[in-house]
Amino acid sequence: MAELLFEIPGIESGRAVGLILILGIFALGIYYMRRGKLPYIRRVAAIDAIQEAVGRATEMGKPVLCSYGRGGFAYSVIAALSILGHVAKTCAETNTRLLVPTGGSHTGYLTRELAVDIVKGQYSVAGKPEMFNEDDMPFLSGEQYSFTAGYIGMLVRDRPGAVIMTGGHSSEAMNIAEMSNLVGALTITSGTYVSNMAALACASDYIMLMDEQPAAGAYLSRDPEQLASIQVIDIYKVLSLALMVVGLIILNVTGNNFIGRLLAS
Amino acid sequence: MSWFFKSKQVNLAILVASFLIGFVPYFLKIPQIYEFTVSLTNVASVVGQFTIVIAIYSQYRRSLKFIRERRKGWVYNIYLLALMSLMILMGFTLGEHHATYMWLVNSIVAPCSSVVYGILAFYMFSAGARAFRARSLKASLLIVGGITVLLYQAPLTGSFLPGISPYAVFLSQTVGMSLNRMFAIAIITGAIMLNVRMLTGRELAFLGFAREEES
Amino acid sequence: MATYDKRWAYLLLFILVLLPMLQPIGMPISVSELTKEYYAQLQTLEEGDIVLASWSTEYSGYMELKPGMIATHKYYIKNGIKLFICLGHPEGLALVDALLDKELASYMEKYDYTYGEDYIILGFALPNQAATLAMATDFQASVKVDWKGESIAGTFLDRIETGADIDMISDFTTGAGNPGLINHVVLTFGTPMIQNQIGVSLPGSFMNLDAGLITGLLASTRGGSELELLINEPGPGLIAMDAFTLGHYLLIIFIVIGNIGYFGWTKRLAEEMERTTIR
Repeated sequence: MAELLFEIPGIESGRAVGLILILGIFALGIYYMRRGKLPYIRRVAAIDAIQEAVGRATEMGKPVLCSYGRGGFAYSVIAALSILGHVAKTCAETNTRLLVPTGGSHTGYLTRELAVDIVKGQYSVAGKPEMFNEDDMPFLSGEQYSFTAGYIGMLVRDRPGAVIMTGGHSSEAMNIAEMSNLVGALTITSGTYVSNMAALACASDYIMLMDEQPAAGAYLSRDPEQLASIQVIDIYKVLSLALMVVGLIILNVTGNNFIGRLLAS
Repeated sequence: MSWFFKSKQVNLAILVASFLIGFVPYFLKIPQIYEFTVSLTNVASVVGQFTIVIAIYSQYRRSLKFIRERRKGWVYNIYLLALMSLMILMGFTLGEHHATYMWLVNSIVAPCSSVVYGILAFYMFSAGARAFRARSLKASLLIVGGITVLLYQAPLTGSFLPGISPYAVFLSQTVGMSLNRMFAIAIITGAIMLNVRMLTGRELAFLGFAREEES
Repeated sequence: MATYDKRWAYLLLFILVLLPMLQPIGMPISVSELTKEYYAQLQTLEEGDIVLASWSTEYSGYMELKPGMIATHKYYIKNGIKLFICLGHPEGLALVDALLDKELASYMEKYDYTYGEDYIILGFALPNQAATLAMATDFQASVKVDWKGESIAGTFLDRIETGADIDMISDFTTGAGNPGLINHVVLTFGTPMIQNQIGVSLPGSFMNLDAGLITGLLASTRGGSELELLINEPGPGLIAMDAFTLGHYLLIIFIVIGNIGYFGWTKRLAEEMERTTIR
């Protein structure tokens, strides 16, 4: 690792710039959330795919299976819950059965309560509260592969017409995507686990790569907080890119690893 | 008294205090609260493990319903409940180091876990063979890159085609790593933004407070 | 239509993987720079150094990490490195039996590597970052007994107060690893860390390797087999390499066949359908 450019007394060595960057996110986040004006986000192509998938399942008389990931209260899971809300609304309007497998991690039960509230709420708003069945949202297991086995069991038994798998999935996503392909479901996934993305892209009919999923969630929910998050992420990506370019130029022209040392401080 | 614990402000104050107790010592040199931080994180760690109790309850409830209604594959639910009950009983009575319990783990749980993971290889194989089609120039380039990396990863290739190594290493390490870095920046920034939303009281659903619908 | 039942592909793959495992062909393998670097890191350890072996893998991941785990632990045993083993996953319990009692028992006996003197198992001691932080900052306060409840007082672990007293971390992991080890031990105390990682998670680990957060990386089964070659202890990794090679080549063949089928039939069929569509 590069040596430090500076140290600030009272702050742990090598963490000053990290603290400044985090405080920057705090400041920008609060600014954009309070701004009142919703930032523009383009319509992600996968949103049309979700509509198509639910429509296909309705026509075939098959249920829709939508999962939001197996993590706890994580960034991608929150975005996936927005997508789940949209799918639940569409299913309620079209009288299509919605299955939501939950679990997969020890903190999965925390988000399950939220998912149940969201789905129940959407059915109520559509005027069809009797359609909601909590048994269609089973907590399969707190362990990854037990959750996978249960998920695959649901796919094989219920044979959904569409599988929408968003949120925090890791290696089990490949198992699930390929199995949903085998049962003839239209498969829409999101790649939040980087190592999985290539394999998921092969196995799915549509894939939301990385930030497209939170962007889709923000677009569908029109939630100012989620939109502000997307904006701050984009700002930091541009900042990272700028630091990379400047750092490369300085390193190649002067031989000085200034930016590396700055970021290591 | 219950109003106190149900109060949004109190819950938010506890959240902010817990965050600061964990966040501040990481960056600032304040050894006095460090021990408290360690104790608090230990408590959080233990509490988190109790979700397994909820998982067990949920699984029993669901499986019994399936068995009662004779749904498709209900026999497997009997097997699941029987094995789960046996493991719980053995674990509590004999302890996890007992030979019988270890036999259950090594002979049933471990192989089943391995099989579900091992199936991945077949799925990746069929997905890869299905998806790599030279439909366009970009797809063709992707196939060339994919085959290069596949060839490099096969150990035998190094002995008859050593020249492939720099190209494959460039693709998998340089290109792949740069993508990983950008994804990591997005994930981490998103996670911090979620924290900002929670700490400013705009995302309290995980505490059980539903968002007020705007009319 | 140029399609095939994928179950034939599965059967073919199964046969091509099974046969070389039963009857090894002995194809030559080359050792990558990555494995050489991992081995160089192992060689920086001296007899009596204390290594934290973090088994952050469930049993399924163990199947892929097995050659690397066996080879690395054989190195530690042979060179008298003191180990304390922490599990990062509840299923790690099965690994104790599988790795230590079955694979390494005779090797440990050969080098007189005994429990309590040379290695200690602390059990499921690293369930999350919170536990890792607690262990890294005040080891003696957070860890008092081993996995069977016996006191660790009077053992080599008395030398450990914080993460700075650990000479190396040896992480065997499937996912992103235990980020707590990097955040709270490597970054805080500068403890060197080497990692044995599964294939699908390698891109993430390359990032850490490039940043200097980990100093050595062993890539999946192949890396394990290369390490077996380097330490001159053939094992399950080298046996698996023939199957590894054949599996990869079979996939390439299927990709080529699939594209031939696509250009030969499917594309022509699509063009034919477009021409004959009533407008």
